[in-house]
Amino acid sequence: MDVNIRVDREPDHATIVLSGPFDLAHSSKVMHAVQSAEAHLQGCHSADISLAQVNRIDGTGAVLLARLLDRLAANGCRTDIAGGENPEAARVLALYRQRRTDHPSLPSRTMNPLVQLGATAAQIPAKINDAFDFAGRCAVALPKAAAAPMSVDWRSLPRLMQEIGADGLPVASAANLLVGIIVGFLGVSQLGRFGAVAFVPELVVVAHFRELAPLITAMVVAGRSGSGLASEIATMKVSEEIDALRSMGFDPVRWLVVPRCLALVLTLPLLTWIGNAMGVAGGLAATMVITNMTARAYIHATLDHITVANLLVGLVKTPFLALAIGLIACGQGLLTQGGAAAVGSRTTNAVVQSILGVIVISALFTFFFVLLGI
Amino acid sequence: MALARPHITVDDLRVGWGTRVLMEHVTFDVKRGSVFAILGGSGSGKSTLLRHLIGLERPQAGRIDIEGVGEPQYHEGAPPFGVLFQSGALFSSMTLAENLALPLTMWTPLRGPIVRELVQAKLDLVGLGPFSEHLPGELSGGMKKRAGIARALMLEADLLFFDEPSAGLDPISAVELDQLILTLSRDLGITVVIVTHELPSIFLVADDCIVLDKAAKGIVARGDPRKLRDESKIQFVHNFFTRSSPGASTDQGG
Repeated sequence: MDVNIRVDREPDHATIVLSGPFDLAHSSKVMHAVQSAEAHLQGCHSADISLAQVNRIDGTGAVLLARLLDRLAANGCRTDIAGGENPEAARVLALYRQRRTDHPSLPSRTMNPLVQLGATAAQIPAKINDAFDFAGRCAVALPKAAAAPMSVDWRSLPRLMQEIGADGLPVASAANLLVGIIVGFLGVSQLGRFGAVAFVPELVVVAHFRELAPLITAMVVAGRSGSGLASEIATMKVSEEIDALRSMGFDPVRWLVVPRCLALVLTLPLLTWIGNAMGVAGGLAATMVITNMTARAYIHATLDHITVANLLVGLVKTPFLALAIGLIACGQGLLTQGGAAAVGSRTTNAVVQSILGVIVISALFTFFFVLLGI
Repeated sequence: MALARPHITVDDLRVGWGTRVLMEHVTFDVKRGSVFAILGGSGSGKSTLLRHLIGLERPQAGRIDIEGVGEPQYHEGAPPFGVLFQSGALFSSMTLAENLALPLTMWTPLRGPIVRELVQAKLDLVGLGPFSEHLPGELSGGMKKRAGIARALMLEADLLFFDEPSAGLDPISAVELDQLILTLSRDLGITVVIVTHELPSIFLVADDCIVLDKAAKGIVARGDPRKLRDESKIQFVHNFFTRSSPGASTDQGG
């Protein structure tokens, strides 16, 4: 039996006979039947409704019928349901009619692009304020941590150094090795045109030690550990662990942020140092493959240029890069509010901002050293 | 009603991992349209049994049969029953209306105004009419659970599973939830299976129950919870229903 709503119309009165399955599976048919029945019921003052031939009704069918009856009632049509023939259907219908609540519909959450742009712009001062606030709290946390060493989770430090340093070593080394090879190839192909292949070792050392190794290593660590730290703290925030720390009188900044930043500050210079060696190895490999320079000659030329200045100009910035990664990642984690989606977006923010921060800080250092003439 | 086929039949089920058996010889059936409670202390395997009933785990032995579904197992497609998880398990990045619309747009060809109308009717049914544009994070625990029920109802399932519905709710929210369960069962004829250990809730809503015991590795009692409370001779069941000291319980070995 198919869904059918038969309307027997007299001038003022109508008899409506429903038949068939009024359920989710037939919801499109029910909707069409309701629409055509409604067209026949224009200007009617009373209607008798028979449910006797409804062989199945569920919530979906009941809602569609209930809304029809509501609209009829609103147009001044009195409806009588002969429920005795099919008490089950009458009960479901009555439930959905009686649970109807009228309420002002809320404005939808979708904003038009212009409003969205404005709202985003309006948040910028607050975000800058948050960043300064967090930096200030971290700056205060450090002397306090020194004064009260028990307020820092020192036991997590070895684990964090393992995760950030040792576990990140293969990726950071591989990245530095490949960049060393790239610089070597570039040097050979460009300097070779002027017969200056002998200067390739110097190029690799200067470029890699001073700029590339700190930058590449910091970017790898920002991507790897920045996301890890941010999502760890964000999940702790979402699952109320940060609130638990506060309730026990711990300062989450001191307890969580200090060991993480410290682990980064301690391990990033080491990773960069190893990265330096990998870069030289990459340059050596590239040069030996495409020129007839011997390994001995290459290493000799390299050693001449590994000066204290070249080494320190590179390494001195790594603690600052590490600090930037740690503060951004932990800060984003602590700012998390909401659920799973917020953890994801804060982690993304942390990685994007810390990579950007690493590049900006590197550039500032370069500018500074150029001004000093080192 | 008495002659109707049971909605769920569980026959000689054994549940466990590897050589560790959590419970065995679990046999019971759930009448269509009834509210059936799975009771037991912490660690007795209530939630594990529920995970088997909804097909998230496979039993070691025995058979579960849901009328019209057969053996419950995960498959991609419209689910044959609704499940309310402990926390409500709403998707936090979507509004309530979007959460509820998801099963409809996923598994039915319905789109547009009719979906909005059905979603609103279900929200009205559970008393959350004005909250359609709210995010789950903006709701209280009880409201999240009611929203979870509304989402479980979207595909008009005639069988619902509730995992600890009143856990963590204040007494008033818990009673409201119990009333909603009674409405679902009595007015809509939905079969409801509840895992719980909230005594007031059990006595209010449940028509029938089984009591699981860790020590006995299975069912120790079956029947109307009010009758079990008043008449059961089994020490563990008596203690459970009257909140007596567990020190008095008999160790049934195993």
